[in-house]
Amino acid sequence: MTLFKQIALLLSLFLLIILATVLALNFKSANKSVQERLYEDAKNTASSLSLSLGSANGDISMMSTMINANFDSGTYSYISLKDIDDALVYERRSESTIADVPEWFLDIVNIEAPFASAQVSAGWNPIGILYVQSDDTYAYNQLYTILKDLLISFSILAASGLIILNLLLHTILKPLKRVQLQAEALIRNEFITQDKIPYTKEFKDVVIGMNSMVSKVKTMFDKGNEELKKQKELDYIDQTTKLKNRKYLVHKLPEYLKIDASSKGGINMMIAFSGVVEANTKLGHQNVDKLFVEMANIFKAYASNYKNSIVARMNGTEFIILLPDCSDIDGLELAHGIHDSVKNIFTEYGLDTKKTFISIGLYEYNYMQRIGELLSLTDYALAQAKFSSENIHLDKADEVLEVMGKEAWRKTINKALELNRFSFTSWTAIDIKKKKIAHNVLSISMKSDDDIVYSYGQFMAPANQAGLSSAIYSNIINSMFKIPDMRLAGSTSSLRLSYEYLDQRDTYDELFSLFKEYASKLPFKLIIEVPDKLMRQNSKQIKLYKALFEKYNIEMGVFEFIGESQDYQYLQDLRPVYIQGESSYFLSLSEQSLSALRLITDTLDISLIAGGVMDMQTLGKLKEKDITIIQGKATEMVEL
Amino acid sequence: MNMLKMILLIFLFVNYAHADKPYVDDKLLNKITKKYKLFAKKRFLSLQNILDINKNSQDTEKLEAVNDFFNEVRYSSDIKLYKKNDYWATPWEFLGKDKGDCEDYVISKYFALLYLGMDSKKLFFTYVRSTKFKAPHMVLTYFKTPRSEPLILDNNNRKIFPASKRKDLLPIYNFNGDSLYKASKTGTGKKLKQIKSHKKWDELKFNMKRKKI
Repeated sequence: MTLFKQIALLLSLFLLIILATVLALNFKSANKSVQERLYEDAKNTASSLSLSLGSANGDISMMSTMINANFDSGTYSYISLKDIDDALVYERRSESTIADVPEWFLDIVNIEAPFASAQVSAGWNPIGILYVQSDDTYAYNQLYTILKDLLISFSILAASGLIILNLLLHTILKPLKRVQLQAEALIRNEFITQDKIPYTKEFKDVVIGMNSMVSKVKTMFDKGNEELKKQKELDYIDQTTKLKNRKYLVHKLPEYLKIDASSKGGINMMIAFSGVVEANTKLGHQNVDKLFVEMANIFKAYASNYKNSIVARMNGTEFIILLPDCSDIDGLELAHGIHDSVKNIFTEYGLDTKKTFISIGLYEYNYMQRIGELLSLTDYALAQAKFSSENIHLDKADEVLEVMGKEAWRKTINKALELNRFSFTSWTAIDIKKKKIAHNVLSISMKSDDDIVYSYGQFMAPANQAGLSSAIYSNIINSMFKIPDMRLAGSTSSLRLSYEYLDQRDTYDELFSLFKEYASKLPFKLIIEVPDKLMRQNSKQIKLYKALFEKYNIEMGVFEFIGESQDYQYLQDLRPVYIQGESSYFLSLSEQSLSALRLITDTLDISLIAGGVMDMQTLGKLKEKDITIIQGKATEMVEL
Repeated sequence: MNMLKMILLIFLFVNYAHADKPYVDDKLLNKITKKYKLFAKKRFLSLQNILDINKNSQDTEKLEAVNDFFNEVRYSSDIKLYKKNDYWATPWEFLGKDKGDCEDYVISKYFALLYLGMDSKKLFFTYVRSTKFKAPHMVLTYFKTPRSEPLILDNNNRKIFPASKRKDLLPIYNFNGDSLYKASKTGTGKKLKQIKSHKKWDELKFNMKRKKI
């Protein structure tokens, strides 16, 4: 029960008790007053009648007549005269008259009209005592009217009192509502500062306390954010050319070399600068650095035409330009362009282009290749280039051996979509510190007509090529909500959604209607993993998703995190439950970077999950860095 | 002989026990002395002495003694004494001030007689009209039996006379608060909650209860 209800109930009860007590006391007082009035009337009659009876000189018939006259003219229930020996001389008693009041009132209210008495004398001698009792009918009627009036006035008083009480309580407890909202926000790691400081001292202290706490947490977060941004500069940026560095490239490449990568391949270009010693001798280090900056600008300009391209300085004299979706012809053309532009600059700087030149090795990669393979093959192409006349050389990856052809895949996938043949397989994310399953990670599998089960890794690449990946996500997420897998009941499970699917215009509406109808019936806690690439945009679109997930009690996780954002405010705004990055990323983080990241995630109560942990050695290193939730083959080796 | 001794002892014991209950107790007497000074104390001691002497006397002797004692008090109107038109003073106020009007004489005589063990049914406050002064007046009347001729204890005419000898007084109304209350309580067959019987009487009883001096 809320504090408001408790106080309202207590005060209402208190008010009603007070009113009822006052009503009862008022009525009791009225009752007493009416009875006193009855006595006073009787007493007055007794006194005056006794004086009159004295003039009768003991004549009983005369006295009886006087008593009759009085009894008939007034409202009396009893008048009697007893002699000095207490023997009854004369009496009149009224027939019982019924008061115009309800039966229950007669039962509850007991009015006893008091007897008044007066001595009757004849001359010097007392001759008896006169007894008079007033009629109580009048008293009953009067008391009943008083009770009705009292009840009406007290009902009006009670109603007005309760309304005023309610309004007062609302006004007084209004700041408390804001305090409650602020406290709830804090629980959700939202840092709201309350500007309106309540007047009530207790609330004021609480608000000031919470504001101070929020401010401190916010400062911690800001400090972490600033530190991480600074570390990112140091970790990922070449200080001379402001290009990305080798570390960045290595961390970023897994996004390009994966089954469900948005690009199926392209050109990886490695550029080597020859004659740096001569250049240094001729121009000096500072001018050579300027030369590198101009070269970097040329590389960036050429790469800018390609979406998601990366330009990185690998070491003092080597650069890489990764161009997704770039053909070999376009790659060669671009390489020639770069070669010529750089040559012109060398000339401008007065360098001998025979001694100072660049070599460009191009390698046409595909998404199936591993990072090491890609880099060494590109390096090989560069070595070839250095010996070629044009200093440009292109190598190509071997054709990927597919299980079936593109068209066959398309047919198989379409058939599976039609017949809802996608299902979930799951593996686990393990918390090695708590020695328990952190959550289940759901993966999609597909069954073909001939009952062959294809894993995500097998069918997703051709599905991407066929433009069917979003249809698969749509299909699988519909199945998940409409026909939930009861084996997952009570668990926490995560599902990874691709950038392309989430970025699609219709996805939000589809999820909205799906959640609206089915989310409440989902038997397990769902975490939807969103790529960091989408999260860090902190766009209106991702905020809409966040609001939608929150509304239906679905958590948000981040995957493919490599800490390349310009600002980590998005983590505070979107508050994911965890951040998942490759184990290599976490292991390569400097102590400063990791502690800055930790400052942010601890402030926001975000867990760090290392993916792709393949062996116990890696697991041990992660443990040393206090990253204790892991995914990958090593989870099978952990004893729970 | 033994029997005689025992009777004598009982008699002494009764007398001793009674001597413990003076008309005005020490505490009250101290207060009266403090307020009305030493002469007032002496008046009360004198009254106690008279009452003690007449404790076992006949009714007529009691009446004479009490009537004579209180008729020595000087008359004064209520307006002079109490700044009120009509006020029934307690016996302590009356003797303390050594002044009072007709009701005050009646009241003091009445309670002194009750102290002497007289039956309250025999005594009445009687409202009379004084034909001599042509003014309302109050006297204490004593009825040996309910139907016998009453004796009149008056402060104007200091001697006690039977009613038939007091042609200067015209009886109007007899009143006895104690017996009226008792009659009201028992005479109707119903238990009476009210204890009021007469406004002035009730006021007097209240003042006596709180020992007003």
